[in-house]
Amino acid sequence: MQPDPKPGRPAHDIAMWGAPGSGKTTLLAALDIALMRRDDDWRIVGSDPASSEFLIERTNALSSGKVFPEASQGLEHYHWTLYGPGERHRRRWWRKAGRPEPFEVGIGMIDAPGGLFSAGPRRLDYGPDVLDDLRERMLNDLVKSRGIVFLFDPIREFERGDAFDHLHPPLKRLTERMRDLGRLTGGRLPHHVAVCVTKFDDPRVLETAEKMHLLAPEPDDPYGFPRVSDDDAQDLFRQLCDLSANGNADMVLNALGRYFHPDRVRFFVTSSIGFYVHPQTRAFDWHDYQNLLPEDDDLRIRGPIHPINVVEPMLWLGRRLAADKETPR
Amino acid sequence: MTRDAVPEPDEDLLGKALARAVAGLTATGRLVVVEVAADGMTTFEIHRDEHGTALGRQWVLPWITLTAEHGWGEDARQALLRAAGLPTPGSEVVVVSSSPESATALQALEWLREARTAQVFSTTAPITGLVRDVLVGDPLCRSYDLVVMRPAGAGGRLELAGKLLFPVGSRAGTRTELTVRCAPGGEHGTALAVVTRQGREPRLLSVHSARVDPGPYVVTAELVRPGRVRFAGLPGLTADRRTWDDLLADVPDRLPPRTGPAHLICAVEVCGPDVKVEERLGRARQMIAFLSGEPAEAPRVSLVSYGAHSFDRSVRDRPVEVVAWQASAEAALKGLDTLEERGAVTQGYPYHPHAAQVEDMLATVAARLSRSKSPPSRHVLLTIGDRRPHPMRADRSGVLPCPQRHDWQSLLAHLEQLPGFAFGAICDQPEDGRAHRIWRHLGAQALAHLDALDLQGLAAGLGLAAPAAVHVPFPLLDETE
Repeated sequence: MQPDPKPGRPAHDIAMWGAPGSGKTTLLAALDIALMRRDDDWRIVGSDPASSEFLIERTNALSSGKVFPEASQGLEHYHWTLYGPGERHRRRWWRKAGRPEPFEVGIGMIDAPGGLFSAGPRRLDYGPDVLDDLRERMLNDLVKSRGIVFLFDPIREFERGDAFDHLHPPLKRLTERMRDLGRLTGGRLPHHVAVCVTKFDDPRVLETAEKMHLLAPEPDDPYGFPRVSDDDAQDLFRQLCDLSANGNADMVLNALGRYFHPDRVRFFVTSSIGFYVHPQTRAFDWHDYQNLLPEDDDLRIRGPIHPINVVEPMLWLGRRLAADKETPR
Repeated sequence: MTRDAVPEPDEDLLGKALARAVAGLTATGRLVVVEVAADGMTTFEIHRDEHGTALGRQWVLPWITLTAEHGWGEDARQALLRAAGLPTPGSEVVVVSSSPESATALQALEWLREARTAQVFSTTAPITGLVRDVLVGDPLCRSYDLVVMRPAGAGGRLELAGKLLFPVGSRAGTRTELTVRCAPGGEHGTALAVVTRQGREPRLLSVHSARVDPGPYVVTAELVRPGRVRFAGLPGLTADRRTWDDLLADVPDRLPPRTGPAHLICAVEVCGPDVKVEERLGRARQMIAFLSGEPAEAPRVSLVSYGAHSFDRSVRDRPVEVVAWQASAEAALKGLDTLEERGAVTQGYPYHPHAAQVEDMLATVAARLSRSKSPPSRHVLLTIGDRRPHPMRADRSGVLPCPQRHDWQSLLAHLEQLPGFAFGAICDQPEDGRAHRIWRHLGAQALAHLDALDLQGLAAGLGLAAPAAVHVPFPLLDETE
């Protein structure tokens, strides 16, 4: 387990949150790849050797080895920094328009299997001290963060239906902690939340979106991938909640809307691996778009990955955090 | 005492009169014919049995016996009338004098005339032969049917039916020829049962059985005399003592699938573990070898192998292989040798681990059949494997779509509507719902498990061999009839 970041590092402003196996690790690896495919200057860098190594390993697995990153099995605490070109400030009367300040935001992630916030150490072979420490670290991450990336895996929810179980306990404790610190605003948590509905590439998700007439091609997308606009993402989330295995997914939506300021919550429909693109046509094919191939009891990525909407949540959070910084409360 | 005159002898007139009298017999009526001769009196009592056949009994009363017991007075007269059966009311009486010169005979004739109104004829010879000829020449008053079985609707159901042999009015000597098919008849073989009908209920007239090889037969039925039908065309026919109920007890409710010229297409899945592939090829070998030893006409055999699709562009997708097409069993077995030497052709990445080219196999079979210029009347697709097909397009199953975009559902539907097409399958997986639903279609007529294969049952279910357990006691009416 890594120690807390050393003093002087960027404040870790974004926390990754989601049920185990919801795709946090994959999303970060896909983010690294997606950023490198962009023409601008965005990049993600590890804040310590272990975090760098973790990211390199997962990114290589996705881009080269095509082995799907394994779900978290250990207890790890990682930190990265997302660097970007920043945005040019609007000219104010008291200063001239100048060069944009580089954008810099920290990303923290607790990599732990499920049951961390359960009443007992369910299915975890760690002592209570270790779990208490990890819970404390995760809460600290969330307290220090001003942005949260919350991952909702509709396929896991369809099969297991445990998203609410992994959201509700930490949400309660975070609210309690923030209230003690006097940082609730209007009785709600002050964080900006990017809710990522993952696995858009799965036929069950794509077909649901298609049936709801939420799909529209992205004009600039070279492959013609279908997309769900961020404005429609919440509708898809709501529809997918109806397919939850235990029917509790609607409480995820309600909890997010009640504990956070609704205007600070935005939904994104994402895919870390994207759709399969045939090497000859190099275009999306409705008949053959799955990019996952079963292999024994696991999955293998079939072709090159084309992450969908993995950068956008980070950039949105980054902009919102930067805007908050400029606007004293 | 004045005696009425006896008519001049006229055998022809007597024969016609007897024939008319027999023909006029009702189901409950009696005809009494009494011949009075010099040495005694012969009585014929004729009636119709349950089949409408005129039957006669006769008995003789010698004068010497009569006079010894009763003298020649009133006692003798009473005894004579009893012997002639004249007390029986409602019976028609015909009296024939064959010895008009005998005083005893004339006396007896007088007593008979006094007792009952009767037609009296004269003849110069005994009438036993004449009565027999009349009975033999009596036309049928009920039709005779041969009991057969014939298909009733779909699914091979059978029903009992009657095939008309001799209509009402037929006379002895009439012959009828018909073509029937004999299925395995069990212990008693095939029964040629003749029935008449009283209303809707059949009445069993006669049964003859023969244990014959299954197949078509031309049978000739001859009406020897009323009540007696003789058959030719089935070797080894013997009288059968079984009752109608006995016969009915052996009647199956379903027709065994038709055997005969057929085209067996063995489609073997050659992906997955080597042991499994070896086992599947072994099953195909068993089936082909079994059929080549069947008495029915050996089917033409095709051998098709299929594996899994490759989903890595660097690895070529192996197409479905037609190892043999409408070949002899020997050629197909040689093809199996090749496949066994090769073993599993697609195993592990990049080949799909859960699905196989079932849809490509169906497309290949359909295309080959469409090109056949003189196809056999029946095709049987025997698929041996366990994997699911690839869907035509991406769907919620998560199985990647067929690279050729074949649609297994429409291909199955196409094959299903081909006349005489049958599906059989040997599936690795137990029938507990785990196998993909396509296997229900692939095994529509016969579905067997790889580990518990009943070759006879599978072949019989597909119409490639006669079933061991189903016996058909009656001839099957040929479809061309």
